[in-house]
Amino acid sequence: MKLSQGFRMAFKSVWSNKLRTALSMLGILIGVATVIALVGMGQGSKNQVEQQVASLGTNSLSVTITGRGTATSLSLEDALALADISNIEAVAPTVSGNATVKYEKTSTDVTVEGITGHYETVNDFSVQSGRYIAPVDVRNTQKVALIGVDTATELFGSDDPVGEVIAVNGSRFTIVGLLESKGSSLTGSNDEKILIPITTAQKMFDSVGVRSISIKVEDLDRMDQTVAALEASLLETFRGDDSSYRVFNQEDAVETLNSVNETMNTMLLYVAAITLVVGGIGVMNIMLVSVTERTREIGIRKSLGAKRRDILFQFLVEAVVISGIGGALGIGAGFLGSEAIGIANGTDTSVPPQTVAIAFVFSAVVGVVFGIFPANKASRLKPVDALRHD
Amino acid sequence: MIGTKQDALIEITQLVKQYVMGRETVTVLKGVSLSVYPGDFVAIVGPSGSGKSTMMNVIGCLDTPTDGSYKLDGTEVRGLSDNKLADIRNKKIGFIFQGFHLLPKLTALENCELPLIYRGLPAKQRREMAMTALEQVGLGERVHHRPSELSGGQQQRVAIARALATNPPILLADEPTGALDMKTGQEVLSLIEELNRKGHTIVLITHDMDVAKRAGRTVVMRDGELTETVGRRETHEAQPRLPDGVQERLVEQA
Repeated sequence: MKLSQGFRMAFKSVWSNKLRTALSMLGILIGVATVIALVGMGQGSKNQVEQQVASLGTNSLSVTITGRGTATSLSLEDALALADISNIEAVAPTVSGNATVKYEKTSTDVTVEGITGHYETVNDFSVQSGRYIAPVDVRNTQKVALIGVDTATELFGSDDPVGEVIAVNGSRFTIVGLLESKGSSLTGSNDEKILIPITTAQKMFDSVGVRSISIKVEDLDRMDQTVAALEASLLETFRGDDSSYRVFNQEDAVETLNSVNETMNTMLLYVAAITLVVGGIGVMNIMLVSVTERTREIGIRKSLGAKRRDILFQFLVEAVVISGIGGALGIGAGFLGSEAIGIANGTDTSVPPQTVAIAFVFSAVVGVVFGIFPANKASRLKPVDALRHD
Repeated sequence: MIGTKQDALIEITQLVKQYVMGRETVTVLKGVSLSVYPGDFVAIVGPSGSGKSTMMNVIGCLDTPTDGSYKLDGTEVRGLSDNKLADIRNKKIGFIFQGFHLLPKLTALENCELPLIYRGLPAKQRREMAMTALEQVGLGERVHHRPSELSGGQQQRVAIARALATNPPILLADEPTGALDMKTGQEVLSLIEELNRKGHTIVLITHDMDVAKRAGRTVVMRDGELTETVGRRETHEAQPRLPDGVQERLVEQA
């Protein structure tokens, strides 16, 4: 029997049982669609993380001071002295807190960060209009502020905020600069904050030392040595109490995030694979029913000279046709699904073409694997028994 | 024993068929011998349970004998592989079943093409051969009808056409009139007779003596043993038909 003839026979048989075919296809369809949608989603979120990481810069470190009291706090001078460590380009100590900001009758709660001028280089966060916090502001505890774009829009609408006076926790501050838009990062929104000189912030929040320091490293390759030197210096300052501070490597954070992402995706893929296997079992089930139902047909075909391989081929092709069409439809459904998820979550999704190919081939393989058992069962029927069956 | 002429189409010698049912072994055919020559029209008659269906399955290569020898067109069938048996069924035997055994989803023409598909013939040749066979049974007009759109007699004629399509040396008919009324049954039998006159070798299995009468030669199956009617063993070629009286008696015995 020729190949094309076999396919024609299989299509005819599959077509004449539309409802059953559709139902058994559904399992494969859902499986393939899940794979495609999940891979698309995973790729999308991976791309997103990579973008965020790029915006953060991998050449930064952050130090968090967790200790309390004078013995375990870091003074502004100590923090600035860390810049002397080799390979450290700039140090940006911050003190932060929450405050209510009021302009005329509008008020809002924002994060207030006390900074030095180095904040601009270290965090790559500049102003779009006005000026930055200058060293003189820090030295003289000036009441000047930089305002984030979202907060500015909230308080001033479309008006230019530079030069306006706002009340931060009741104290009057002059806005000297409007920060550029930076969007959200891992630590929250960058556009809903107010930056003031660190000395002013220390007074406002009644804070003796600094609570966190962002550090920019010159040479990324010497990151490990720099971290070691930094920790040594801090250990000396805190007199051997290594529980009062934490050095946080941005790169580590990124890696952790990526690996979490990866684990999630792999898990989802396993789930999708299980769905496909379940779909395959569905196809096998239907094919077994079909074999039993068509026992007499098999008997007739055998009495007319069908060889075992003819019958085997016939049922195998039917299984592959069912799962193949299911797979093809699943790819379509998966594309639509990942688009829909992307729109619903506001994230990008992208389906790599090789995933589509793999999913389709896999669904056809599922057809073969789960078709073999019923097809073999059919081909082994003895013609005399099969003919007698009714 | 039955003559061992070289040109015998079917030559069965001391054939035994046993089935294992649970712990018991049932012997259905107890050393049966039969020869069928080209152009013969042989009827195997017997009551139900006599083993004639098993006989037909063995002759049709649907089942394999336990012991003895079965030569079909000079080839020993016993011990052949499934594939070889399928090949023999395809090339040497045309089946005509009691229940027609047509595939309901295929048209008359497609049903007739089926054995030719398994022979691996190209589509055009298949179509021609199937058409010729259908015209031979007088169904040239209804080739695109499905079995459900045909009467019982027409269905059986499609089945006969299917059997004829491959030009097999033997037509094996198992109760061909069993599912038909008197009149259409007679028509189908006339068709079979006509095919015999045209040179086809026919083996007909039936329990109905009236049907068996139409055959040129009758053998009786009883309890797994075969009895050739008197005087036939040596002279079956010379004598075309037994006197009716003898056959009548056989029916009563059966």
